[in-house]
Amino acid sequence: MVKMISLGPNDIDAIFLSGKVAAVAVAGSLPVGFAVAYLMTYLKFRGKLLMEVLITLPLTLPPVVIGYFLLLLLGKKGWLGPLLESAGIRLIFTWKAAVIASAVVGFPLLVRSIRIGMESIDPQLIQASRTLGAPWYDTLFTIILPLSIRGILAGSSLMFARSLGEFGATIIVAGNIPGVTQTIPLAIYEYASSPTSETMALSLCIVSVSMALGILFLHEVLGKKLSQRR
Amino acid sequence: MEIRMAAEKRFGKFALAADFTIVGKQIGIFGESGSGKSTLVGLLAGLHHPDRREIFLDGECLFSSTKRINVPTEQRRIAMVFQHPNLFPHLSVKSNLLYGFKRCVENNRSITIESLVGVLKLENLLQRGVNNLSGGEKQRVSLGRAILANPRLLLMDEPLSALDDTLKFQIIPYLKSVSEQFRIPYLFISHSLVEMRLMTDQVLVVANGSIVDQTTPDQLARARMEQSRVGYINLLRLESPRRVDGLFAYRWGDRELLISAGNEEPEALFELSSRDIILFKRHPEAISARNLLPCIVVSTFPAGNRIGVEVACGDQRVVAEVTEQAVKELEIREGVDLYLAVKASAFRRLD
Amino acid sequence: MGKMVWKLFLALLWLFLLAAPGFAGEVNLSIAASLKEVIDELSDNFARQSVDIKFLKNYGASGTLAKQIENGAPADIFISANIEWMEYLQSRKLMHSASIGIFTYNTLVFVGLTDKKVSGLQDLPKLEKIGIGSPKSVPAGEYAMEALRKAGVEKQLEQKLVMAKDVRECLMYAERGEVDGAFVYKTDAMQAKQAKILFTVPEDLYPRVTYPMGLTLTGARNKDAEAFYRYLQSGYAKAVLDKYGFAQK
Repeated sequence: MVKMISLGPNDIDAIFLSGKVAAVAVAGSLPVGFAVAYLMTYLKFRGKLLMEVLITLPLTLPPVVIGYFLLLLLGKKGWLGPLLESAGIRLIFTWKAAVIASAVVGFPLLVRSIRIGMESIDPQLIQASRTLGAPWYDTLFTIILPLSIRGILAGSSLMFARSLGEFGATIIVAGNIPGVTQTIPLAIYEYASSPTSETMALSLCIVSVSMALGILFLHEVLGKKLSQRR
Repeated sequence: MEIRMAAEKRFGKFALAADFTIVGKQIGIFGESGSGKSTLVGLLAGLHHPDRREIFLDGECLFSSTKRINVPTEQRRIAMVFQHPNLFPHLSVKSNLLYGFKRCVENNRSITIESLVGVLKLENLLQRGVNNLSGGEKQRVSLGRAILANPRLLLMDEPLSALDDTLKFQIIPYLKSVSEQFRIPYLFISHSLVEMRLMTDQVLVVANGSIVDQTTPDQLARARMEQSRVGYINLLRLESPRRVDGLFAYRWGDRELLISAGNEEPEALFELSSRDIILFKRHPEAISARNLLPCIVVSTFPAGNRIGVEVACGDQRVVAEVTEQAVKELEIREGVDLYLAVKASAFRRLD
Repeated sequence: MGKMVWKLFLALLWLFLLAAPGFAGEVNLSIAASLKEVIDELSDNFARQSVDIKFLKNYGASGTLAKQIENGAPADIFISANIEWMEYLQSRKLMHSASIGIFTYNTLVFVGLTDKKVSGLQDLPKLEKIGIGSPKSVPAGEYAMEALRKAGVEKQLEQKLVMAKDVRECLMYAERGEVDGAFVYKTDAMQAKQAKILFTVPEDLYPRVTYPMGLTLTGARNKDAEAFYRYLQSGYAKAVLDKYGFAQK
């Protein structure tokens, strides 16, 4: 088994890059995801249905479509292109684009999980909190946030795992740049396109699977710990 | 405290239209499930908003659809105790208790945790988590939490319904003493007439989404005497039991009652159905019932096809239920002397 | 209900069988991406002149194509953009060796939209992003890497190289302006709408860009493939190559 794994410096780069992109994507999406989940769970407003559909959309679209739309939006000739350029911000073909691709693709997963967590909170607890003098933001931080930790955790691990595997959107909007945007899936793709890199591809695949297993395992363990505390 | 409400609210098929003014310290709201009691209280607390009209508390407008005023729940200083304790599972008992207290303005913090803990007997529970407490303990913590928020009004929505009988009647004295000691008026919702009579001195009767009556609990009990399965329930506080012949002799005002279901505790609350009281015109020669007392008729009142007879035994009163025929035969009128008889086994202990 | 489902299943199965295939008159082509326009035109012409021929064309990076053929993808004719991949298939006994010849040649250039002054390989470190075919499977990328190595700028360009899956994707990156410039063939640059040739890569820095062509073992048994193969070597084909800028020597 150990003999099967041969990783070059390029591959180590890819592994670290994958981890970094996934971590930043999750960390950056958490506050937004939490806020969106809160809005969807507790507020009624016009256009709520539309928002629900829009948020779930990335789950059903092929990632390459998402990547292409991101390109149309953020590219040099894209809708936001001139604006970004005047602010000196370069996104396409940078690791930031990889983060954006992962974030967009994984966002629905995050929001869903947090929503499920929030919806399982007894609404009477929230009513109780109000009658005891807590305005909505106070209730949000002292009651809703602590009680939706499980959902937040589940969503984060799911999104992290999804980011590690993100390919379609990433390759279009961040490109395949070793050391900069070449995450594990992109590296495997490159190896797999060439007849002479079978073992390399396989090694990275094994690493990829191990990482995914690791996250899922961690998620289960944390989940159990949390429910024991209660 | 004065509550003035003229409000309407629709929830799908159910509509509530409440229009009343009531002044008091221990007010009850009585009705069947689904009659609208919880909605009414929810409107008061600000958990729902009326579709139209207004709500006033002690002269302050909490809601007005015309003037577009809507004081948010957290600013109304109305604390609630629900049917289920609703304790925050991720906080300790102490943190739960202090939740409302911390959010209270400095000036209003007249009730402190030290004073409360003694009254509600919560000393041993303070550091524990809330998940392993018994039903009664949870409800006491819930009550403590609401009180510590130093509210100007306490709303209690069927707080005793989920508890078993013995527990219920043990908590009722807590509720009352806390309210009196800390001077917090309350609104008590229940579908139990007995609870209402013990807890409140005025009742709003709610049915089908509107207020159908505003009366005292006792009057309400009398009005319902005939339909009730158990007639009018006399509530008797008795004390100083002595063992006599396998029974317990309790002091009842300046008289004595023999009761089979008694025990050694110095005080007890008993219930006695009006249908278990037999009236005699003349002293019977000998009867099997162990309680036979002279009494005087105070008043009579109609209750459907029956007649309620309120009699005085010394300084105590009870209500008996008899047929119209019986009233004619015994010539029962105000001022008439009668005898009443009750079996020792007819008394049921409440606490 | 059950009967309906069964009928539907049979109908679908029948459709699949019909579509299945292997009818005479099909020729599978695996061609280096840079030859797209040339082969499109040649195959269209040939199809018009013959009876009932259908061309199934697969354009891509030569290394990728070689791998597909090795794994069993149908191919009658293979044209690679470097010798390496043809030799690869030969060593695995997948090619009809006797048929192998040279189709054409090409040169490597650097195209881009950038305003920066770029006149040679030494200027490349000035740029931020450079498109290059993945050397593991795209010959154009291999040639370019070799040139960069020989010119001594390979190390400086680490982290600036955006890997493309074939030379046309490379061109697209340059056209879109997402990279400052890209290594493509001179013939690709002629297809470009906006990107301009910034400089030609000195020929002594990389081996000659050679396009070997050959019939696979299955292709050698396909009459139509053989006929088209001969057509590819005709004078007419050479004229088309010329039109698109391919070198003859």
